[in-house]
Amino acid sequence: MTSPFPKSASLPGDGRIVVRLLPAGGSGLETISYQYPLKLISPSPTVAQKSALVFLLSYGGGLVGGDGVNLSVHIRRGSSLSLVTQGHTKIFKSATPDIVTSQKMWAQVDEEAAVCLLPDPVQPFEDSVYEQTQIFTLGKRASLCLLDWVTQGRAARGEDWTFTRWTGRNEVWTQGSDSGQMGRLLIRDNVILSQDGSKPVGLPLKDTMHKMSVLGTLILRGPVMESIGNFFMAEFAALPRIGSRDFRSKEDQEKDAEEKPEFERWRARRIAMEKQQNILWSAAQVRGCVIVKFGAATVEAGRSWIGTMLRREGSIASHFGDSALMCVEP
Amino acid sequence: MASQDEIETEIALLELRLQEAKARLNALNPSSSSSSSSSSSNPNSSIPSHPSPSAFSPASSPMHFLLLLSDSALPIGSFAFSSGLESFAAHNRSAASSFSSFLPLSLSSYASSTLPFVLAAHRRPQCLAELDDQLDAAIICTVGRRASVAQGRALLSIWERSFKPTILPPSASSTSTSSSSSHQTASGSISPDALVLSDFSALLRRESTKSSAGEPPLVSAHLGPLFGVIAAVVGLSLRQTAYVFMLSHVKALVSAAVRANMFGPYQAQKMLASEHVQALINAVVEREWHTSVEEAGQSVPVMDLWVGRHELLYSRIFNS
Repeated sequence: MTSPFPKSASLPGDGRIVVRLLPAGGSGLETISYQYPLKLISPSPTVAQKSALVFLLSYGGGLVGGDGVNLSVHIRRGSSLSLVTQGHTKIFKSATPDIVTSQKMWAQVDEEAAVCLLPDPVQPFEDSVYEQTQIFTLGKRASLCLLDWVTQGRAARGEDWTFTRWTGRNEVWTQGSDSGQMGRLLIRDNVILSQDGSKPVGLPLKDTMHKMSVLGTLILRGPVMESIGNFFMAEFAALPRIGSRDFRSKEDQEKDAEEKPEFERWRARRIAMEKQQNILWSAAQVRGCVIVKFGAATVEAGRSWIGTMLRREGSIASHFGDSALMCVEP
Repeated sequence: MASQDEIETEIALLELRLQEAKARLNALNPSSSSSSSSSSSNPNSSIPSHPSPSAFSPASSPMHFLLLLSDSALPIGSFAFSSGLESFAAHNRSAASSFSSFLPLSLSSYASSTLPFVLAAHRRPQCLAELDDQLDAAIICTVGRRASVAQGRALLSIWERSFKPTILPPSASSTSTSSSSSHQTASGSISPDALVLSDFSALLRRESTKSSAGEPPLVSAHLGPLFGVIAAVVGLSLRQTAYVFMLSHVKALVSAAVRANMFGPYQAQKMLASEHVQALINAVVEREWHTSVEEAGQSVPVMDLWVGRHELLYSRIFNS
């Protein structure tokens, strides 16, 4: 059996997590190992815990120029893992553009297993150079929830997409005939943001971002995510048409709103918030996955929006436990 | 039941395959034949060498096909798509939302996400099906996929119904083997690439009739890779292919802007003729020249949002 995952070795930034189903039911950690600057913490499991929980941390809460993190994750058959962080992953500046800070994650999700990665956003500082690669290989009926988001930097210091380069690549593969082997590429979501790449356009990078402070991608696949995926598709379809007008009087509108069921009132409030906070989002069904893209004028508005959506539907919290959602709590 | 025409085409293709194999053999033993220079080793040469004037009929000159492929009347239906322009205008009703600010963003986004696939398909036509599948995995936006597949399928039909009879005349097989070999020489690496297209459309037909439960189809026929292969087959250079592909995008956008009443036709031509647009195309082609398809991706993320939200427009005149 050949494995596409790197052999575990004691190199700086290397880490490995293996999750399996416990004999008594529930998911537990079989292996957890890490090297500076990566730090992995798992709170001691409780009986009520629905999935194994691991915090992805780095010493000092960020990665300095040239740091590399290589995390390999294996979720064995039937088990569940939630991965979270504690605060933004800060990417400090690189002295020269050829010093690349990188994070790579390879995750193998076996049959009937599930992984939920809802971290805080990555916050690249001015002059930072960052590459992120996350590759997921999914077995039959395996489930994945992956959130990848990036902010403009330290807005308080006037940073506004002023890093040198940020690239994020997320790939979802099916499993090949042998366990551990990659089968077919289902999704490749690549975002390339760079000052150099923006030069041909004749605009600084920040002007191509249209006043967005945070941009995110949510990728959902598998039986556990079916309900949340359908929820996003239905909510997207239910968004008001752009350019349509409501000809009812204000009193009639209010009267109609009161008579509506609770869920529709929630939706109306959320849509009003989206408009006010300038949240743009779209959802698409692509090759058996649901992909949600969103952008918001402030980081907190983005966090609050994605948190509201995931909370309201509720299936992630009920499968993985509340702590899986801690990074998207408003 | 295969018609006589189809069998003749098949014979032509098989003979071309034989010629190509012979050429490869000759390339291994350069002393044995001088015709080995016709092997597909140099797909970049924009000026193909032609051994005899008779083999180089004006009908199959690369320049002729360059003009056809760059024609806005090429029936791939590009007029039906605005690549997010209509949605952009609806989302940004302020004065700042001008076409001139949208054009560079759209060009940059389209180049970073699709141009590497066009270049790769021109460089390695035999990888067409694989490139098409990878691009299908990378376009994660319903509206964008629809536009790409609709135009890709139309281009494949143009190849099948309109270009192929000229590039691969069914009579080539019946006259003599030497004529088909000289034809192959005239337009560079024709033979194996034309086979790739035939195999591809056969695969596409099989996939579309197959009801696949859950599994995505093996090929979808996206515009980018097909454009690269067809441009290579008709003899366009890599540089020409990239330029025409990007210019066609600009022309489609400008034409959409005229129909969306953003400006008039003279302003449109002025924009198309401008040095600014030329420099823009050259700059993005330069930027993506060495980008591998694995590194292709979105360089203007907000474009995905505008294109994806096109479906939410109350009234629309375009499909994207």
